[in-house]
Amino acid sequence: MGALVTTASAIGGVGLVCAVALALAARFLGVEEDQRIEEVVDLLPGANCGGCGFAGCADYAKAMVIEGAAINLCAPCGAETLQALSELLGRKAEATEKEVAIVLCGGNATSAPRRSAYNGVADCAAAHAVGGGDKVCQYGCLGYGSCARVCPSGAIELVDGLATVHPDLCIGCGACVRTCPRHLIKMVPATRVVHVLCSSRAKGPVVKKACTVGCIGCSICTKLAEDNAIRMEGPLAVVDYSKQFDHPEIAEKCPGHCIVRHQTPNTEHRASLKEPAGTS
Amino acid sequence: MKLLKAKHKSHGGVHPKYRKNLVQDMAIEEMPLPQLLRVSMAQHLGAPARPVVKKGDTVLRGQLIGEAAGFISAAVHAPTSGTVKAVTPCPTPAGPQAPAIEIEPDGEDRWDPEVEKSAAARDGLIAEFQKSPGAKKDVVLGIIADAGIVGMGGAGFPTHVKLSPPPKKPIDTLIINGAECEPYLSSDNRLMIEHAERIWSGALLVRKVLGAGTLRVAIEENKPEAIAAMEKAAGDFGGEADVAIVVLKTEYPQGAEKQQIYAITGREVPAGGLPMDVGTVVQNVGTTYAVWDAVVNARPLIQRVTSLTGSPVSTPRNVLARVGTSYADMLAFCGGTAGDVAKAISGGPMMGLAQASLDIPTTKTTSGIVLLTPAELSVYGSTPCISCGRCVDGCPMNLMPCELSQMLEAEDYDAAEEYNVLDCIECGCCAFQCPAHRPLVQHIRQGKARIMAKRRAERQAAAKDES
Amino acid sequence: MTEYLLLVVGAVLVNNFVLTRFLGICPFLGVSKKLSTALGMCGAVVFVMTSASAVVWLVEAYLLVPLKIEYMRTIAFILVIASFVQLVDIALKKISPALHGALGIFLPLITTNCAVLGVARLNVQFKYGFGKAVMFGFAASLGFSLALVIFTGLREKIDRADPPKAFQGVAIALVTAGLLSLAFMGFAGLVK
Repeated sequence: MGALVTTASAIGGVGLVCAVALALAARFLGVEEDQRIEEVVDLLPGANCGGCGFAGCADYAKAMVIEGAAINLCAPCGAETLQALSELLGRKAEATEKEVAIVLCGGNATSAPRRSAYNGVADCAAAHAVGGGDKVCQYGCLGYGSCARVCPSGAIELVDGLATVHPDLCIGCGACVRTCPRHLIKMVPATRVVHVLCSSRAKGPVVKKACTVGCIGCSICTKLAEDNAIRMEGPLAVVDYSKQFDHPEIAEKCPGHCIVRHQTPNTEHRASLKEPAGTS
Repeated sequence: MKLLKAKHKSHGGVHPKYRKNLVQDMAIEEMPLPQLLRVSMAQHLGAPARPVVKKGDTVLRGQLIGEAAGFISAAVHAPTSGTVKAVTPCPTPAGPQAPAIEIEPDGEDRWDPEVEKSAAARDGLIAEFQKSPGAKKDVVLGIIADAGIVGMGGAGFPTHVKLSPPPKKPIDTLIINGAECEPYLSSDNRLMIEHAERIWSGALLVRKVLGAGTLRVAIEENKPEAIAAMEKAAGDFGGEADVAIVVLKTEYPQGAEKQQIYAITGREVPAGGLPMDVGTVVQNVGTTYAVWDAVVNARPLIQRVTSLTGSPVSTPRNVLARVGTSYADMLAFCGGTAGDVAKAISGGPMMGLAQASLDIPTTKTTSGIVLLTPAELSVYGSTPCISCGRCVDGCPMNLMPCELSQMLEAEDYDAAEEYNVLDCIECGCCAFQCPAHRPLVQHIRQGKARIMAKRRAERQAAAKDES
Repeated sequence: MTEYLLLVVGAVLVNNFVLTRFLGICPFLGVSKKLSTALGMCGAVVFVMTSASAVVWLVEAYLLVPLKIEYMRTIAFILVIASFVQLVDIALKKISPALHGALGIFLPLITTNCAVLGVARLNVQFKYGFGKAVMFGFAASLGFSLALVIFTGLREKIDRADPPKAFQGVAIALVTAGLLSLAFMGFAGLVK
């Protein structure tokens, strides 16, 4: 019995001393941390894609809680997450329309020939820096896959040497937009149907020599699209993505064969959050 | 005339096969005017020139067609008389299109009367300059600037800026760079052989502008004719103090300015610094010739010698052609090709840029056009780094290309910056020797571009924050 | 004097705690991805090992032995070590939140780090006096730091390379650790 008491009190004494030391340390060296940051990080998708403009999900969470950054900057967040964030932080949230990436070029290995043999680093920016790239078209997709490598959700596939985005896999982070050295990729609302798959600023005859599916600048599409939804910017037809429109024959009527009509799935990703669930 | 040997030797360097025998004995030949000249507005470092003519204008030889847009910029002049067909983008050797002025020569090649008028007054001006260089220095610098002279060794840095270092960086040594270390090229070589006196005149003029005491002409020992020619011509200027020819050991890249400065003076240009930081200025022989032509004859820079060479070329030549001549036209002047061409390089094979087409116009800095046959080409597939260290042995800037390339492949730009990737002169010695055939220079070039872009973005963000 | 020197050389090179005694592998593998983080961990381990060695020796000499409760050794030692680690955790969070975030879960794992308990137990086993015990603790932590820094350097370089898919990540790290351990075997026999 005595041994038990001695042991217990001896070790207990040591424990007490340690506890007091730690309590004092916690008092004088303790750091206040907002618990909400942890909770926000748990809510965020954790892709660390950088689409919000911050260094990662943890960084964005800190900015949201401490610096009051807008809570709807995360593109991969769904409407539910946005609602939860709004409740947690008691802030209004106006969800943005879901956007997906699209590569505005149709020049694959068959339609847009190469003019030289590039022998170097298999990276689009590197290829672009060598004599303006190895394709005849000075504006089109080089097909070395830099955008595919940087996509966090694997949504970009190189089909016959042309980068193609799978809209259902795209989380809208925008990493590919920043990577493409020819600035071919755009973020467009997921519900848009009509696209001009060409970004060449060269005149029609030059485009014809470079690609069989390039925009030749005939501007027939501008007349078919209502409400000025397609405009000519020099010799290139450009879709105005702020407008929702469709035309059943627009793809067939294009003499350059550069217009497509996609059926994009997941059209319910529209934001509908108007009132905050909690109060201010 | 003193013939000195280099006292020091930079680290590294390689010895490629020089193959200068194809053109080194060919005298400079002037090519007839082509059907079209495309004069780029961006053939120098710094802001592109601003066009001052438009479609339909008539221009005369030597007339100003593009004005310098800022301090670090250069003027551009019409290479011949004719009509402006268009002001439109045209391809450049580096890739991105640059605005250019297309001129259709009228065949008469008439000089701008302003040029002839100025030339008449030059003797007097030069005499005054020799008597009191301090007073007339700005006039001479103005002449160099108005003539649109840029570094013709390849970099294209505006010469009038190079020759105006800030007062707290006094210059005591001027080195005239006649090394021409790139294989295949011989344009500087022929210029020294055929116009040695003019190059000396230009060199002495530049020395007076800088107020430097020491003048050295650097020539590699594989150019004995050029050394002999410069030695003979220098006999006439024997009175000038501390002037000497330095015979450099033949090695690539002895023509790189930092390496040349170290070899001749033992001074090391600090990392991220310029030759003026060690009181030195290096100028190419071609640029020196252009300075002579501008100051003595009032002629702007509108032509240069280009070595069009390589085994597939029928008659390799050192062609004197107007700026804006298409490579294809120059090749036709050299008899076209006799055999398959696998690669066309603008510049030399070490630092030059491969071209996808010969429909590119020459610029003030096109020192050579090299064509290679399929047999001379090495198409490589690269394998991982084996840490052999050949690149480290060969690097003239004492860098570690193997490490830099691995960092840049892994996109670790901060580590690359720490390892001094920005000091790389892109000479190619590392890639030349790499047994794993890694694209070292390409990685480094990309890394440098990304780091500079990031710095620019940070500067802009900081400026925006302040405003 | 020579005794202390031999002690240090023995602990750092001949019987390196990580590479020869095979203790402390957890932070060795977990924190060796970046040099700045690794150096932070080294500092934490040096502090914990040295001070824990000292306090633990006192506990053993003045509490456990006189009261004849040596059987509570493990519990008592862990109590002391855990308290030191928690102290470092609190202090680091205040002094350098960045390093604290970078170390993450591996900081509290110094507690269960067998190297710290190991050095405490070895001090008892070898019956070192107070001075030698503290010196041994300090030398052991230096050995740990040496191994960690070398390994981090290797790992930073390997991370940039492109090993076959099967080897990527921890697999190639473990292979490298094994080779490093092999290299350190060369020190055997340096100190008799």
